[in-house]
Amino acid sequence: MLKNKLATLLIYLVAVLITVTFICILADIIIHGFSQISWGYLTESPSDAGRAGGIAPIIVSTALIVFLAIIIAAPLGLATAILLTEFAQQKTIFAGFVERCLDVLASVPSIVFGLFGNAFFSLYLGLGFSILSGGLTLACMVLPILIRTAVEGLRATPDDYRFSAAALGITRTTALVHLLLPTAMPAIVAGLILGIGRAMAETAALIFTSGYVDRMPDSVFDSGRSLSIHIYDLSMNVAGGDSKAHAAALVLIVMLLIINAISMGLAKHWQKNRIISNEIII
Amino acid sequence: MKQFSLFIILLLTLSISWGYFSENSDKSEVKKLVLTGSSTVAPLLAEIAKRFESLNPNVRIDVQTGGSSRGINDVRARVSDIGMASRSLRLSESELFSFNIALDGISIIVNNTNPVTSLDKQQIIDIYKGKIVNWQQLGGQDATIIVVNKAEGRSTLELFLHYFGLQNTELKPHVIIGDNQQGIKTVAGNPHAIGYVSVGSAEYEAGHQVAIKLLPLDGIIASVENVRNQTFPLSRPLNLITQQQPTGIIKDFIAYASSEQVADLIKSQYFVPVAH
Repeated sequence: MLKNKLATLLIYLVAVLITVTFICILADIIIHGFSQISWGYLTESPSDAGRAGGIAPIIVSTALIVFLAIIIAAPLGLATAILLTEFAQQKTIFAGFVERCLDVLASVPSIVFGLFGNAFFSLYLGLGFSILSGGLTLACMVLPILIRTAVEGLRATPDDYRFSAAALGITRTTALVHLLLPTAMPAIVAGLILGIGRAMAETAALIFTSGYVDRMPDSVFDSGRSLSIHIYDLSMNVAGGDSKAHAAALVLIVMLLIINAISMGLAKHWQKNRIISNEIII
Repeated sequence: MKQFSLFIILLLTLSISWGYFSENSDKSEVKKLVLTGSSTVAPLLAEIAKRFESLNPNVRIDVQTGGSSRGINDVRARVSDIGMASRSLRLSESELFSFNIALDGISIIVNNTNPVTSLDKQQIIDIYKGKIVNWQQLGGQDATIIVVNKAEGRSTLELFLHYFGLQNTELKPHVIIGDNQQGIKTVAGNPHAIGYVSVGSAEYEAGHQVAIKLLPLDGIIASVENVRNQTFPLSRPLNLITQQQPTGIIKDFIAYASSEQVADLIKSQYFVPVAH
């Protein structure tokens, strides 16, 4: 009995510890950064190495980089996951090989992706320091996360669904689009959020691909500084940049929260729409 | 209906982002310069570049970081037009062209409550090697010396080691720091600490009620003035590097970056403009 209570207490303590850590970080950022945030901060360009002015071009660059990365990685990731779960036999050498590759890719440090992106996209393909090469590099980096979570989601859907669909004479594609994907949607969206989170927080993979330029980008072929690089530069490289670094960190966290909320909402909407609607063609 | 509105939203997003995906047609008239190199110099050059762009609307200057060695490699590989280096060129790099735009000095700093007012070269070596461990041995209070050192890979560390003839492995630091700002905060917060940082930022912070004190080196006061007149022994040049004798827009930019017109920008990044 005592043992049980101790275990319960321990579990609560761990939960509290995690929450407290998060709240401490958030409080530190809000306390030091909130006073710096103003309309001007969100709409102006940085000046004096980031000590003055705002972060408008940096927000735009970050959004473009992440948007590109997800637009490129999401279809590829979903297609690979569908191939692995629905079309390839789980035990074949090919499927096993692809999954091992993904595991290795997921554990590669981001600076390696950065150097690869610099060598391949920036130099070999001649994209230079550009938002496009940053987005492509990040796409490579988030791909394994997207595939892994989508595979888990699709594997978790009960086989009964597949059998029932087959019994009713529904084609595999229809079953996939109207039944299996909507059921797996929460997992797929969770993967998407993880991917976006990793992409937005990335510094090492971007400093040599999308670069350091804090001008408003004209096109995706321009170099653009991401929020995480801006935060890193202000806190580590620029004397007197601490308060602005906190403010930029606050903006980054708020952006992440907004994106999370939107994707969660969309996922719920899509799931409800698909599974219950009478669109299913029998 | 919902599908349709989703489609419309997608279409709108695409059309808005189209502007970003298509390169501007008038780009051929815009000359683009790429600068890579030292992270110490990059923020300064980014500011100079912005001012140069505002005077020359048909020029775009992209400033990238990565470190002095990268700047030199990129210039050699013709990946960049101009390299930035926070050190002089080495013998093996003598085929390149170097242009000094500013100077940076490195000063020994202690907390301003510390009664010690000067240290000679040997004493600093002994402190960093862990042979002198108490301020009492140097005429200070009875307290352990907290030795603050720079992290591996920083050019400030390289210069410090070179000047004092030390190896990083011989040092016995208590605290390892990254940038200048962190060093100043560490020493200001600990009455028994000793460290070394950029003269410009140290002088600025010491003048703004931060609890640090700059110690003279070889009897020469650590000040921006003495870095400028080159009497202060521990200083380094901040250079622009090119592969060939610069011509055209590169020449114009280098001339502008070393002119009187950017002295205020150099000072606001706590560096020392070269004498004109």
